[in-house]
Amino acid sequence: MVNNNIINLTNQVFEESFEIEPDQLKPEMNIFVDLGLDSLDIVDLVVALQQKFGVNIRDDERVRQIRTLGDIYQFIDSLKTN
Amino acid sequence: MINRVVISGLGAVSPLGHDVPSFIKGIRAGKSAVRQMAGWDKYIGLRSRVGAASVLTDEKKIPRKSRRSMSRMSIFAVQAAQEALADAGLDTVICSTGRAACIIGSTMGGAESLNETFEIMLPDKDLSRLTAMKFFQCVSHTAAMNVAQYLGLTGYVMATSAACASSLQAIGTGYDLIRLGRQDIALCGGAEELHPTVTGSFDVLFATSINYNDAPQSTPRPFDEKRDGLVCGDGSGIVVLEEYEHAKKRGAKIYGEIIGYHTCGNGSHVSQSNRRSMQACLTKALADAGISPGDIDYINAHATATLHGDKEEAEAIREIFGESVPLSSLKGYIGHTLGASGALELIASISMMEEGLIYPTLNLETVSPECQGIFHVKKPLKKDIRILVKNCFAFGGINAVLVLKKY
Repeated sequence: MVNNNIINLTNQVFEESFEIEPDQLKPEMNIFVDLGLDSLDIVDLVVALQQKFGVNIRDDERVRQIRTLGDIYQFIDSLKTN
Repeated sequence: MINRVVISGLGAVSPLGHDVPSFIKGIRAGKSAVRQMAGWDKYIGLRSRVGAASVLTDEKKIPRKSRRSMSRMSIFAVQAAQEALADAGLDTVICSTGRAACIIGSTMGGAESLNETFEIMLPDKDLSRLTAMKFFQCVSHTAAMNVAQYLGLTGYVMATSAACASSLQAIGTGYDLIRLGRQDIALCGGAEELHPTVTGSFDVLFATSINYNDAPQSTPRPFDEKRDGLVCGDGSGIVVLEEYEHAKKRGAKIYGEIIGYHTCGNGSHVSQSNRRSMQACLTKALADAGISPGDIDYINAHATATLHGDKEEAEAIREIFGESVPLSSLKGYIGHTLGASGALELIASISMMEEGLIYPTLNLETVSPECQGIFHVKKPLKKDIRILVKNCFAFGGINAVLVLKKY
């Protein structure tokens, strides 16, 4: 079970940086197909997540595997747990 | 074969309003857009604290994926370009034919974005916090590139960067491209962003107005004995240039025909204006148009209210035109919009041509002795303008002059 704080902060990133409406922010949403992000947005997503969570993920290979919003929740949660 | 080139559309985001009608309405009403700038007092050494800012409006109408790469001035340019295209009665489909150009100049990339980039990166020499979009907002062709992308434009895309001559060079370049038959249509103009660091760069050179921080609407004062320097402004001006037969065939409204243009360097000094090279530019533009000084009905001066620049321009004009041709500067209304100034002021000059009325130089009360001997317009003057001249004389020693004929 992912910490609610992680979910809320991640959703904030999508609202602030990508102007996604809150009702679209569901874990099963594919960030490319459903939320409309592209490769340039991923660069900015990484920067925003780093700032929001105080982590360093720019060179983390696992970023490439992210497809859904839920994947991001899990990824950040794993970083925080470790 | 050399084609004829006309202006068939106008678009403006100006410190006096967010479209051409509000811009012109403000000038007609004699309004100054110059204000004291909040927060500028925190910059150590910045003595000029006045500016003429355009207001960012309706930017969210531009979809995020297009807007994300736009600096503030790119948004201004997109909005002005949209107005110009609509005014010309052209659908954006024309942009994808490869026969439409986009030439938009500015002094530099988006000033706010450049400063944000430095503020993010420099304190810790850390690039990891830079977003992907900063590059596209900071580059010198941010306005041209973003307008072209937004409109799906596939013809020539160019950015003329020549400080205060940028947008007149853009229009001159579009004129040449259409003259030579390389393009049928060209969206041309300029854009600029007001920022304390932009004003600061002129302040360092002792070129800004510093004595009117508490009376902002009294400055700048082109040609006036109490002038003390320029006031920066921002916005964007875009005109649609069109090959004459192309415009005629589709029944377009034609504002005027460009009949002459010249640009040249002064070859002498980066910041000191030089009347000889101004004269050379004016003379060659008139020669390009095949007309003589006596054919000109109005001169829209560059006149930014710097001590030296206004004097040199007045002397250059005096030597060629004497006191015979009425002239005014529009900097008192909207400040110096730098890369946008040539296009914005040409648009206002076209309005004067349509109306048969010369808008006077705002804040010109007593003509400085060194700026006398030319025909200053100090109050609205009714005049049939058949041919006008637009001057731009930029830092870097770059001159540009355009000659426009009533259609």
